[in-house]
Amino acid sequence: MNSSIISKRVIFTIAITSLSIYLVFLLNPEGALRILINLLTFAGIYGLSAIGLNIHFGWTGLLNFGHASFMGMGAYVTLLLMPHAAGREGEVTTTGLPIIVAVFLGIAAAALFGLLLGLPAIRLRGDYLAIVTIAAAEIFRLVVRDLESLTGGVYGIISYTENLQKFRPEFINNLSLNYEFAPSQAWVGIIAWISIFLTLILLKRLNNSPWGRALRAVREDEDAVRAMGKNAVWLKLQSFMLGAGIAGLSGVLLAFNYGSLETTVFVPLLTFYVWAIMILGGVGSLTGPIFGSIIFWVIISETDRLAYIFFENANGQQLAGFRFLLVGLLIMLLMIFRPSGLLGKKEELLLDVK
Amino acid sequence: MLDQLGNGLLLGIIISVASVALSLLYGVTRIVNFAHGEVIALGAIATLFFSSPVDYRVLFLDKFSPLGINFALSCLLAVLLCGLFGGLLELILFRPLRKGNVGNIAVLVVTIGLSIFIRHLYLLFATGRVQNFPLELERRQTYLFFDMTPRNLKVLIAGIFVMILIGLLLTYTKLGKAMRAVRDSEELSSISGINSDNIILITWISSSMLAGLAGVFQAIINDVRWNMGFLILLLIFAGTVLGGIGTSFGAMVGGFIIGILVQVSVGLPFMEGHTEAKNAVALAIMIVILLFRPQGIFGQKERIS
Repeated sequence: MNSSIISKRVIFTIAITSLSIYLVFLLNPEGALRILINLLTFAGIYGLSAIGLNIHFGWTGLLNFGHASFMGMGAYVTLLLMPHAAGREGEVTTTGLPIIVAVFLGIAAAALFGLLLGLPAIRLRGDYLAIVTIAAAEIFRLVVRDLESLTGGVYGIISYTENLQKFRPEFINNLSLNYEFAPSQAWVGIIAWISIFLTLILLKRLNNSPWGRALRAVREDEDAVRAMGKNAVWLKLQSFMLGAGIAGLSGVLLAFNYGSLETTVFVPLLTFYVWAIMILGGVGSLTGPIFGSIIFWVIISETDRLAYIFFENANGQQLAGFRFLLVGLLIMLLMIFRPSGLLGKKEELLLDVK
Repeated sequence: MLDQLGNGLLLGIIISVASVALSLLYGVTRIVNFAHGEVIALGAIATLFFSSPVDYRVLFLDKFSPLGINFALSCLLAVLLCGLFGGLLELILFRPLRKGNVGNIAVLVVTIGLSIFIRHLYLLFATGRVQNFPLELERRQTYLFFDMTPRNLKVLIAGIFVMILIGLLLTYTKLGKAMRAVRDSEELSSISGINSDNIILITWISSSMLAGLAGVFQAIINDVRWNMGFLILLLIFAGTVLGGIGTSFGAMVGGFIIGILVQVSVGLPFMEGHTEAKNAVALAIMIVILLFRPQGIFGQKERIS
């Protein structure tokens, strides 16, 4: 009985996702593939980030609103360890670590930052943790912006994409000639989706392991976990580190997708984007965020034309404003009418804490 | 360092008034309202709309011309509008959620969505420009050991006056007692004949009016921006938490401390050349307070866990 309901929801979700991709082709007679690759790349990166957030909120019940800072930490550490140019003068650093090592260290740094941010989680209840994490993320952003000598400050980091793009397979270049899309972005997109795939395999195993069960037990009843002799505090911290590490990887990919990195990327709105994707996909669901992310990005990229109905000559600011307007509305409506999203399980939602 | 004291007091009064509003709402309804900043911005933007000269058309998409009302009256109308807005939010959105037994964390996420939604409505309709109230420029003067413009001094005094008034209202009137009763237990207060729905509605209205007033203050002291509420929201959280969330007196003091600390920290030796990071100091203080004394300076312990 139960499994048949779940499979119905899976079919429904896949149908909606396919429909939204079809919509992209329908609405864009020309250059649909280019648009699709663009939004699938973003969907992959944000989906990966939402998977990380889901470990915090969906699995462990930790209200993390500082997710953007984990992404930022991963991105900054990775980029600064590789050859790049940064700052007002575009000061060039030609030496650096190989990309694999740099990314690994970036993920480790994000996880370590997760550990640091997780420390308040030991003592604080839901809504307080939300305030602390969002504040910590702002501190991170303000500090990164102000440490210009190290991070390039407001001038950001540039000339680092070659570290990744030099490994781009030839077939992407060949395809891009025929179908007119940006080969560099397609390469980032492919890596993002491979990362999602590998992360999901890892998490699937973890989820069914004693560790995963203990983590969900922390969400349901912390005292019971303690009574069973498990260290609930350490479990929470591990959850924070794991989710933050995954977010760190998605931050690196985001940086490669943008081609230049600025502190304005990691504003609180980025966190709220990821939250919207997680809720849409389904809190606590392993694969939900992927579908949520694709649908979310189709909505985001195709509703621009709606803005033109309201504003005849909409400028960039108005288009962006309209986009965020929809994100806010989406979060609100989902939370009110369908908090379990597409694939979440209602009984697993930790939302009734009084 | 002392030359920043005047600025600190002014930022302090903005945060203080807004923190009292946030704390009042949290105390009675247990809602951590992330849309609080947007009510603040509404106060400022509405005042701008009411008071700007009629021919000043850049502001609202060229479609609406401002009303050109007397400035003091505009402020009053804007604060009343904020109260109306808060009341509508409670009636349309938050009361149904409460009746539907939606949990606090879900409501928190709803307020985040609401905040993003309203903030970008402002961006669309009030444009991204930084605006100023139609007021004459004034020269700063020295009062005792701080300096500020005469107008800002009036704002400071008005703010302190309002907060004393709120303190008296909460302590001595029947309404204040009823609010505290609902805060302690909605069920028990209902049994005692208090209409808790009405009390919560009044709380929403008064909290939003205070927030709107804070917005008017912020706009007089600084300027009007579409995202002004969100920019100051975390400082308001910091003030509220520092004083003790749910306590009005604590929020007043906490707000002032945060405001002064933020401005004075500009003068600290390690902050030289890093003035933009001044908010980080306040946020760091908030995190430390939450870790070691989560009930704040004036809060009571049992409200936390």
